[in-house]
Amino acid sequence: MKKQYDYNLIIGAVLTVTMLFLILLGCFYTPYDPDAMDSAAKFAGVSLKHLMGCDQFGRDIFSRVLVGLGTTFYVAFGTVCIGTFAGIILGAVTGFFGGVVDEILMRITDALFAIPSILLALVVISLFGSGAWQVMLSLGIAFVPSFARIVRGEFLRLKDMDYVQSARLAGAGKMRIMFVHILPNMRAVLLSTIMIGFNNAVLAEAGLSFLGIGVQPPQSSLGRMLSEAQGYIFSAPGCALFPGIVLVLFVLGFVLLAEAFQERKTV
Amino acid sequence: MKYIGKKLVTMIGTLLVVSFLVFLAFSVIPGDPALAKLGTEATPERLESLREQMGLNAPLLERYGNWILSFVKGDMGTSYSYSMPVRSMIGDKLPITITLTCMAFIFVILISLPVALFTASHAGKAPDRLVYTFNQIMMSVPPFFAGLLFTIVFGMLLKWFVPGDFVSYTSSIGGFLRYLILPALAIALPKIAMCVKLLRSSVVMELKTDYVRTALSRGNNMKSVLYQHILKNALIPVITFLGMTLADMIAGSIIIEQVFNIPGLGRILLTSISNRDYPVVEAIIVLLAFVIIVINFGVDLLYQIVDPRIRISGKEQS
Repeated sequence: MKKQYDYNLIIGAVLTVTMLFLILLGCFYTPYDPDAMDSAAKFAGVSLKHLMGCDQFGRDIFSRVLVGLGTTFYVAFGTVCIGTFAGIILGAVTGFFGGVVDEILMRITDALFAIPSILLALVVISLFGSGAWQVMLSLGIAFVPSFARIVRGEFLRLKDMDYVQSARLAGAGKMRIMFVHILPNMRAVLLSTIMIGFNNAVLAEAGLSFLGIGVQPPQSSLGRMLSEAQGYIFSAPGCALFPGIVLVLFVLGFVLLAEAFQERKTV
Repeated sequence: MKYIGKKLVTMIGTLLVVSFLVFLAFSVIPGDPALAKLGTEATPERLESLREQMGLNAPLLERYGNWILSFVKGDMGTSYSYSMPVRSMIGDKLPITITLTCMAFIFVILISLPVALFTASHAGKAPDRLVYTFNQIMMSVPPFFAGLLFTIVFGMLLKWFVPGDFVSYTSSIGGFLRYLILPALAIALPKIAMCVKLLRSSVVMELKTDYVRTALSRGNNMKSVLYQHILKNALIPVITFLGMTLADMIAGSIIIEQVFNIPGLGRILLTSISNRDYPVVEAIIVLLAFVIIVINFGVDLLYQIVDPRIRISGKEQS
């Protein structure tokens, strides 16, 4: 039999590892100071000195992409952490215990579900102001309903399984049953939800920063760089192209990985 | 009828919950609108009278009741920074955003249906794999970057349009629609990719069913079976996705408006957020949420037309 390569897994893994390496690199080393302005290098083209050229202030785009990628990553990571943590708690409580609390909370998540997460995030940002932490918080809150729903569904499906019954008979407490017995059994579902959530968070952060209400200058983020480059798009398309392509590759890596995991699960 | 009634009640319930949550969010924020309007120099008496006049002293529920009643009647409050009714600020902007979203939606339908049917009937062959690869990439391109690319390619290299040269619908409907084509396409691309993927797997599953074999054995050609027999069944799982897509695209058009310099709801929303002009933000968010919820209601109704089983059993099949 001919060996079948899983291209999704290979390409996705290569892209993701490369991006994670770049993020790590950006934490310790950048060729130039990402905020250093150099009027001589204004709109410098692609060269060995400046791998991706320079922007309108003569800042090295490659250095800024390295740092911006890191910002995008940690905002998305924080978002997913908030969403997952709150979602698991809410979903666990509502799915496991049911009753009035479940009814009320589910009505509210149903209602919030009707609003796209970007709009929800806009509400939260208009209340708390803009900045990296605010974006993290607002997107995290905006993601809670969808996470809570999925976790709740899994709890409903698993809570009457035989192994839960036997754990109950063995005298395990409710907390132990919920988080030690049931939770690990939904890891496959959780993993794909988290990966999709991470992707959405990256795109949403980029969108918010692009609108100018996300990460604030001088902090660099991929979305922010794109929005700054928009004004110079005709004179220096490279300022927009490089951060944009890096953003696409970053998301693409995760899309492919998520796809590969999903296929493994069903096969 | 009973089904419609039930859905109608749910819809009104959702409308109330959403609007209340948004209202609550903007009521608990620190800061006194009366103080913001008069400045810190204002005397306590004047503050008190303005608060009374703005209805800020009433209990929360009563204020919500008044607000939602006047909202439904068309009075959306007054902007803090421009001191003009919110309604007149957003009245002529709403059609722009709605047109943009509808156009993107039409693109999604027009492009993804034929592509999905084509790839599904060629499953596993070269064109299918090509579309699959293309889809994976499209799903990772955020609409605003697609918009920037369009500006570079169609605006700068091909000179098909002048970026930023927006034509209002009041001066020329044709020019207005023509200007919106590229922004709508930028919003639609990732959704087209997702829709093709979903519909393709749905059609592939339907292709294996008995009714397709019967239809083919009776001498129908593949094309007519695809469009007349399979599409209707394969669309059922896709309809929910399309409803959600429409909601997402409304949010997406707010971002894309900034790329193409379109003076729609997005720009007012953004300036109001940075000016902390809460009545405007509140009104726009609730208005968009209402539009989305009503669309979802429409999707539910569409469901039971396409799939009569729901009408009988009263619940949705997965």
